[in-house]
Amino acid sequence: MSLDERLLRETLELALAGEGFPARFYEVLFSAHPEVRPMFHRNSAGAQQKMFAQKLCAIVDSAHEPERMAAEIRATAASHRVYGVRDEMYDWVGEALIVTLREACGSQWTPEAEKAWRDAYGLIVAAMTTP
Amino acid sequence: MTNESNESNADDSELGLPWDRAARRGDSRRDLALVLAWSLDEPDRIGEVAVCRGALCLGRGGPSGDDPSPRAVFVRARPGESAPRPPFTNSRLSRVHLAVEPVREGLRVRQLGRAQLRINGRALAEGVAQEGDVVEVHNAATFFVAMRTPEMSGATSMTPAFPFASPDAFGLVGESEAAWKMRAAYAFAASTERHVLLLGDSGAGKELAARSIHGLSARRPGPLIARNAATLPESLIDAELFGNTKNYPNVGMPERPGLIGEAHGGTLFLDEIAELPERCQVHLLRALDDDGEHQRLGESRPRKSSFKLVAATNRPVDALKHDLLARFVHRVNLVGLMERREDIPLIAGHLLQTMARGSRFVAERFFERRAGALAEPRLEPTLISRLLRHPFTHHVRELERLLWLAIETAEHDYIGMTPAVEAELRDSAESASETAEVTREDLVRALADHGRSPTKMAKLLGLKNRYVLIRLLKKHGLSAGPEETGGAS
Repeated sequence: MSLDERLLRETLELALAGEGFPARFYEVLFSAHPEVRPMFHRNSAGAQQKMFAQKLCAIVDSAHEPERMAAEIRATAASHRVYGVRDEMYDWVGEALIVTLREACGSQWTPEAEKAWRDAYGLIVAAMTTP
Repeated sequence: MTNESNESNADDSELGLPWDRAARRGDSRRDLALVLAWSLDEPDRIGEVAVCRGALCLGRGGPSGDDPSPRAVFVRARPGESAPRPPFTNSRLSRVHLAVEPVREGLRVRQLGRAQLRINGRALAEGVAQEGDVVEVHNAATFFVAMRTPEMSGATSMTPAFPFASPDAFGLVGESEAAWKMRAAYAFAASTERHVLLLGDSGAGKELAARSIHGLSARRPGPLIARNAATLPESLIDAELFGNTKNYPNVGMPERPGLIGEAHGGTLFLDEIAELPERCQVHLLRALDDDGEHQRLGESRPRKSSFKLVAATNRPVDALKHDLLARFVHRVNLVGLMERREDIPLIAGHLLQTMARGSRFVAERFFERRAGALAEPRLEPTLISRLLRHPFTHHVRELERLLWLAIETAEHDYIGMTPAVEAELRDSAESASETAEVTREDLVRALADHGRSPTKMAKLLGLKNRYVLIRLLKKHGLSAGPEETGGAS
């Protein structure tokens, strides 16, 4: 499956240009699934949010280079396993991501953008959960 | 072979005289450069620099098909080193965010990405930045515009290795050309046995320079004795410097080696040496000339002390007696913050880390934590931009005070501009511009007219208060008489 890198990047940059996108993502995630909150105790909220935004950018920026993208994802997957992330949690994160992107992009969020993100996230999760 | 290729070969050749080779290579050519001063996501990259010799673009990630010009490559520039660093990963930068092009007036900067471009705090779509200006991508990254040579000079194999942007072995923080030139000057002064005079304003790091010179010298296993000459009581200066025998000059006085005796085998750092009365300056001459020959008070035989004097003053050199001045073969001018402004973010970061290590309150309230460890401070970019453009007169001491003020008056969990910091920056900037306009001649004239009344003098010269005047007089090696009370005497 080929990803629409341009659409992914445009929507992500739009979301990140607004104030507080990463903070809102964690708010949405923790409000729907409070049980994951203790998994984020190692970093302060600000540091966690920066790491999340940087990782999203790195994955989107590497979408045209499957090998580099896989390497980005593998590195993330390894650390997530150490923190005790279970497979079903990826669905929770994906839903929180789509909700937050939709909110942040406002009227510029289109069905095409949502499909591009769902496709991309599906690939990411597949790569992360493949042993 | 054409003439052109002949010239090209000559340029590359190592033949010829060294000064001609340097001129051919263009070693002295300086170009405008962007120095990273603040970054939301990559604070560990502060101090990295990209020299702008042609049109460049800047953004997140490596080169892309959409780049309008080659991508700026940032390096950690040090003497003899300039390895390219990876592309930025800053999430608030767009993939292609700024187009930068050197033009006659400076650097033309154009916003291509989403976050707002600001030059010196002013929001613009496009503008020209000059040396000393601050270019911001709002809440993403801040760059200081500096002049840089392609290869940084000041190389010294004597400086012990230390991580980029960290304090060196002696506590000096800075990666600017000026900082590296100071390190080279310290190393050179340390490499000889000659005495050294440090010249620089209060707060410019004279003690740190003395520590560096001692630590880099062959005398480092010996002691470093530091003393401020202004604190020596006038009647005891000779005893303090040269020592005394037991019970001299008063019964019960213990035997003391004096500062010169204590510094045997090492270095004596004498700050504010110009505050020594001329009589005492003369007494020092023999010790500086003849293998440290000196006499303890109450003792007839001369002693020798092998010491190196590193003296410092913030006064003009003519405040020293000319024959004492002549003993200082090496004179090192300490560069103040104004001459190495690109180091301000690094110094601020180091000061904040030191504050956080000493105060749990500061660490817990204002710092991020990564993997359980203290990480970067939450620092508002506006504060850094303002500090980069502030006319510092008291250098690192003033910077530290401003940071403490920002912490003390912070209403939230970040260190930023507060009304108190704003007022302080405004006041000291006004004071700096006032004092810059007052010449030594103005002061001499005012002293002749109102030398007994610093308050009247300050008023006459348009200075804010008599303390500003006193600082200015001291800087010029002058002093006012004691203040008249105005009452009946």
